[in-house]
Amino acid sequence: MNKELNRRDFLKNTTAVTAGVATIASGITLTTFAANDNPVTNEKRWGMLVDTNKLTESNINDMVNACQEENGWGSEIHSTGHQKPSWIKKIKVKDKVTGKIDMLPMMCQHCEHPPCVDVCPTNASMKREDGIVLVDKHLCIGCRYCMMACPYDARSFVHEDLSNQKEHMPRGKGTVESCTMCVHRVDKGEMPACAEAVSSNGVIFGDLYDANSKINQTLRKIQSTQIRADLNLNTGVRYSGI
Amino acid sequence: MNIRYQQIEGRSLGFYALVAGLGVLILTALGSVYFMEHHGHYVTGMNNRIVWGIPHVFALFLIIAASGALNVASIASVFQNKLYKPLSRLSGLVSLALLAGGLMVLVLDLGRPDRLIVAMTEYNFKSIFAWNIILYNGFFVIVAVYLWMMFERRMNKFSRKIGIAAFIWRLVLTTGTGSIFGLLVARHTYDAMIMAPKFIVMSFSFGLAFFILILIASYKWGDRPLGDVILNRLRNLLGVFVAAVLYFVIVFHIGNIYLAENNNVEMILFANGSIYTNLFWYGQIILGSIVPLILIYHPAVKGNRSVLGLASILVIIGGIVQMYVLIVGGQAYPLEMFPGKEILEGYGDIVVYTPSFPEIALGVGGLALALVVVTLLVKFLPFLPESLADKVADPHHKI
Amino acid sequence: MKHLLVIFLTLSLNTVLAHDDEHANLGDRATELKDEGKSKDIHPSLDEIRKMHPEFLLHRRDQTLRQGVRTQRDSLKGCVDCHSSTKNDEYVPINAPDQFCSTCHQKVGISLDCFSCHRTTPKEGL
Repeated sequence: MNKELNRRDFLKNTTAVTAGVATIASGITLTTFAANDNPVTNEKRWGMLVDTNKLTESNINDMVNACQEENGWGSEIHSTGHQKPSWIKKIKVKDKVTGKIDMLPMMCQHCEHPPCVDVCPTNASMKREDGIVLVDKHLCIGCRYCMMACPYDARSFVHEDLSNQKEHMPRGKGTVESCTMCVHRVDKGEMPACAEAVSSNGVIFGDLYDANSKINQTLRKIQSTQIRADLNLNTGVRYSGI
Repeated sequence: MNIRYQQIEGRSLGFYALVAGLGVLILTALGSVYFMEHHGHYVTGMNNRIVWGIPHVFALFLIIAASGALNVASIASVFQNKLYKPLSRLSGLVSLALLAGGLMVLVLDLGRPDRLIVAMTEYNFKSIFAWNIILYNGFFVIVAVYLWMMFERRMNKFSRKIGIAAFIWRLVLTTGTGSIFGLLVARHTYDAMIMAPKFIVMSFSFGLAFFILILIASYKWGDRPLGDVILNRLRNLLGVFVAAVLYFVIVFHIGNIYLAENNNVEMILFANGSIYTNLFWYGQIILGSIVPLILIYHPAVKGNRSVLGLASILVIIGGIVQMYVLIVGGQAYPLEMFPGKEILEGYGDIVVYTPSFPEIALGVGGLALALVVVTLLVKFLPFLPESLADKVADPHHKI
Repeated sequence: MKHLLVIFLTLSLNTVLAHDDEHANLGDRATELKDEGKSKDIHPSLDEIRKMHPEFLLHRRDQTLRQGVRTQRDSLKGCVDCHSSTKNDEYVPINAPDQFCSTCHQKVGISLDCFSCHRTTPKEGL
């Protein structure tokens, strides 16, 4: 419905994209800047489809490693056990009746109605127009209420001083952090690091709204689920095979 | 007969020792905060699974006790009960002091307490936490005005109106505090709006226990007469409140056990022999509820104020244990993400929480702050009636 | 009253002097650009950037984080890239004492909170 209403904006954006493509000849940098000058809109909704049948254990390990490498978490020296951050983790589950074992990567599910955003007293927990849920660390006071509210155990609290952060991923003591769907890459037109780390079709990243996108088309065809669908959060990350 | 209020003398060795002792506890707390903030929360036992620990146990305990401590004043001014009237000032003071202590702990445990200003300037009105910030600040203002109305003779006539406002505000405040947990839809251990009334009843009980203890102590140490009429009324009231808390606890857990999805959580918490099981049964139920009820109602010890003091102490200890089971125990069990499946790896363990010294010191420091505020203010302002002997407190009392 | 006047005058004098100050440690890349006479291309008005950089950064920060607008202009990365200096072939953190950011911030007594989270040196490695 929203998309219908925004047809004019859509046309405007299409022109912008065309303009961007036209400048390719004069240099790549110009293209990326042109694409990044406009605020993101709700015409897109970024999402991910994880097919556990196509993912091997080493695929999932690769995803975790790629995330650590990209975003620079996991080398904390003082934090122990559950104090260590984990933006994405490998979970192994066994069906209580059939004994079927599944493995899946678990991270922020980028809900459409994120409980973490609802509970945050300072608006630090936030959702971008295109559906990516982030922590604005400038506003985060470290109360951890969002961690209490998250149904997916997706958020981590930075328990110690950090240095040598990645240039594109500021992280600091006393604030909460979680998977950003590699927003810095997505804004450049790239894929999240975890999705890129899997060469098979095990992870599909894309615009859920775009009828021509692979993720949209796959989701129409196959059976998929949202974790804790009972909460009606309409997650951006979907799973099939579990 | 007119009630005469008088400051306590506060020159005795005991008074200074008390203030010094509490001061040491507060300094230890501040030192601990510096240590925790300098190093980061890795020096605490808290982690990404037990995100709220001992500081929150103390903070929330003190905050709900604060709203409960105002009850004595409310009974006097809202329900016009003359017997409680002389106690109103102290009731307001204890209430403010406990809230100050609780908020100190809550704020100093933040990851970035230096950014407290952000919490004042950026509001998310969907957040129950943001609402609580307004409710706490408003409570300070209303109770302060209430005290002023009571102290200033010209203003006395307004004290009932402000008293009603304060009473309503405190009910909303505790509802808000309960909703911090009650609205956490993701967690089976909390998600239930019964949390709000449960917190209100808990506040009645914990707040009154604090009030009774402070009342007995200040009249004993200050050598002022305190009659049995008042104490017996307070004793009965405490008994009713403790029983009411027990009722809510039972209803809450039976409700949870009945819902199949929560069966696991309830079993782990209350029957598997973990630390939370023991704390629940021995600490919260036996020590914090049943023993106090016996001490309050048993005919053999009726009228014995040391026993009443002991019962109050047990209610407070039981209350802290109850908050521990609720806050820490509620997080220890993993979230139910995959119904019908067992998690083999990566998540799903029951987290063991070992609080570190600085956290405990911070929590105790909040309690000490509340007590030191009361101790000092009764010295500098006339909060306490000169006498609460039976014939003063209750003119119709027959000996 | 007289006291206040004296304080006020001293402060304003300080501000004027601060503006005249040649920056003690401009950073490697920034010094190069200045020597090439290109600094005006980046900061057309020195007064403006000295006075307004917090606002510029704040504006950019909200745009980037909340709206996904990612341009080099006014980005903190941009500041760090040009104003960092090297020592023994290694970048010195820009918030270290006597480095670009801290010299002024220490002088005016305003604490600097950017670098509890942001990277203090240009990109990974030299």
